[in-house]
Amino acid sequence: MNETTIIGLLVSVIEFGTLLYLAALGETIAERAGVLNLGVEGMMAMGGMTAFWVGVETGNPWAALIAAVIVGGAFAMIHGLVAVVLGADQVVSGLALTIFGLGLSAFLGRDLIVERPNATFEPVRVGPLSDIPWLGDTIFSMTAVSWLAIILGVITWFVFTRTRAGLALRAVGESAATADAAGTSVVKIRLLAVAIGGFLAGASGAFLTIVLAPGWTEGTTAGRGWIAVALVIFGAWKPGRVLGGSLLFGGLIALEPRLQTFGVEISPILLSMLPFVLTIVVLVLFSIRSRNRPSVAPAAIGHAYRREER
Amino acid sequence: MLGIRLARRETRLPGGQVLAILIGLVIALVLGAILLTATGHSAGEVYAEMFDSALGSRRGWSATLTRAVPLGLAGLAVAVAGSMGMWNIGAEGQIIAGAIGAAWVARLIPGVPGPALIPLMLIGGVLGGAVLALGPAWARSQLGVNEIITTLMLNEVAIRIVRFLVNGPWKDPEGNNFPVAPELPEQAALPILFERAHIGVIIAAVVVIGFGVWSSRSKWGYELRIAGSSAQAAEYVGISLRTKVFTVLLLSGAIAGLAGGIELTGNSSRIVEGVANGFGFAGIIVAALALMRPSGVAAVAVAFGAVQIGGEAIQTTGVPPSISNVLQALILFGALTAAVFTEYRFVRAGQSAGAVEAATS
Repeated sequence: MNETTIIGLLVSVIEFGTLLYLAALGETIAERAGVLNLGVEGMMAMGGMTAFWVGVETGNPWAALIAAVIVGGAFAMIHGLVAVVLGADQVVSGLALTIFGLGLSAFLGRDLIVERPNATFEPVRVGPLSDIPWLGDTIFSMTAVSWLAIILGVITWFVFTRTRAGLALRAVGESAATADAAGTSVVKIRLLAVAIGGFLAGASGAFLTIVLAPGWTEGTTAGRGWIAVALVIFGAWKPGRVLGGSLLFGGLIALEPRLQTFGVEISPILLSMLPFVLTIVVLVLFSIRSRNRPSVAPAAIGHAYRREER
Repeated sequence: MLGIRLARRETRLPGGQVLAILIGLVIALVLGAILLTATGHSAGEVYAEMFDSALGSRRGWSATLTRAVPLGLAGLAVAVAGSMGMWNIGAEGQIIAGAIGAAWVARLIPGVPGPALIPLMLIGGVLGGAVLALGPAWARSQLGVNEIITTLMLNEVAIRIVRFLVNGPWKDPEGNNFPVAPELPEQAALPILFERAHIGVIIAAVVVIGFGVWSSRSKWGYELRIAGSSAQAAEYVGISLRTKVFTVLLLSGAIAGLAGGIELTGNSSRIVEGVANGFGFAGIIVAALALMRPSGVAAVAVAFGAVQIGGEAIQTTGVPPSISNVLQALILFGALTAAVFTEYRFVRAGQSAGAVEAATS
């Protein structure tokens, strides 16, 4: 094991961490507003297919990213209409969104053929900082998307904890009726939160198909959307902890193809189960802990809000 | 403000759900036609071909009914938990676990004749599904851990367990180093009913309809419905919620596991990674459209079976088979939207639902 291998691993950790964090941060925002969206995998697939397509056509990574963000948001609005405005069951609507997104991206993306090299995000070199040993080739050589993910995480944390808007969003997620009585528009806030979740899931898909694993094939999201859903719980619905979790789970994914190189005699397939197993363990611990204390999860999550039924 | 809002109807519109599903179907077909036309296909020809290959012949019906087996059993699994207000999102994983259980039985006693081996494999399937549901059932009933997330997470675990098995311990030494398990013994295949349909169709029909009848007539089913409508009412009349929650989730997993066992013995010669093929997720849609009623599950499962078989059949004409997933999701979205109006109606803002009732009666 030498410096190059370890730096290679760290770069991979950052890349998978970015992929997971974008989607998980979006889902965190939606869930904090009380909307469970199990459509992450589908929105990610649609974003990924769109970004790849636009990237090949325009050669511009930013155009690809923005297109994916818009498509992700539009897809999220299906969930918004069905589960938030009309108040249908969030679980069913979200799962159908995943089936829809996986189906439609496979349908539309089947004939995408690469005629020329795809657009991609280049590493951002930060002047002399990028010459620092270790840090220079990892953190200070990240793509703009990774920086964007971190900045969005900080903004989310700030909005959640320091602003009236964040307070309103959390109030809607804890008790929609109380928030409504206090004059907050429950439906508007929930729609906005769901849309942001879609934007970020779309961005995550774009990062996958134009940076992490350039290309598009059906099934390319490979369950990463479900890991993002798991991360929200693992990170206790907090932007900072979700970032830590994303790096941990991203690290596990990054380790999979490298286990043999590191001389570890465990099947990488067994390693890939860990995020899901750890999330179950954390969820059980939360339940034990919250016996005498308020629940860690937003209390109104999964519940549609209709004013006359409060 | 919009000036209009939704108000609850005094009673759900009679026959409303059937209407909602039909509206959903129409919406899906229209949107699907737009999608097909936009991608250069003739929607009319594609739909005609889909209908013809799924429902236009004995052979088509045999394939459709066979496909309705895992969809119906997965739908029933979800509906059993759903009738108590719980979500088993783990049917996909439990189908895989069921297939693993059945395959395991065949590995242990490969020489047993078919009439004994097949039932034992199906029992292996039931147990496999139940084992995967055991953790969520225990955690929900004892600790109150949300079963949606635990069952969801275990899907991903189950997919990786079967991937691990076919890449490692169960890898066929004569498989040219491909990650495949050895073929099952010949007598492990379910007997054929007609054309492509195997007797799994009868097993599934008996289980789904039998469960429907039994739960509507038995004390157990009655208690289930009480517990589903009100936890307080259930406790008041002395129903142990913990036991009920535990057994219902376990039963749900067992039914999905049976689907996995039947898929393995009926439709494949060996266990593969894609054995569940999305049936568990589709089952959730089936159960939701059926409003968690077993009779509805059977009907919707056949309809979805037809959509899937039709979608697979048109591949030869150059239409991606994923059109069937698109249509299934659109049917659900359309029906969910339409169903809202079986329970709700538009009223002008400022008026209460009661005022409208009074004014119009």
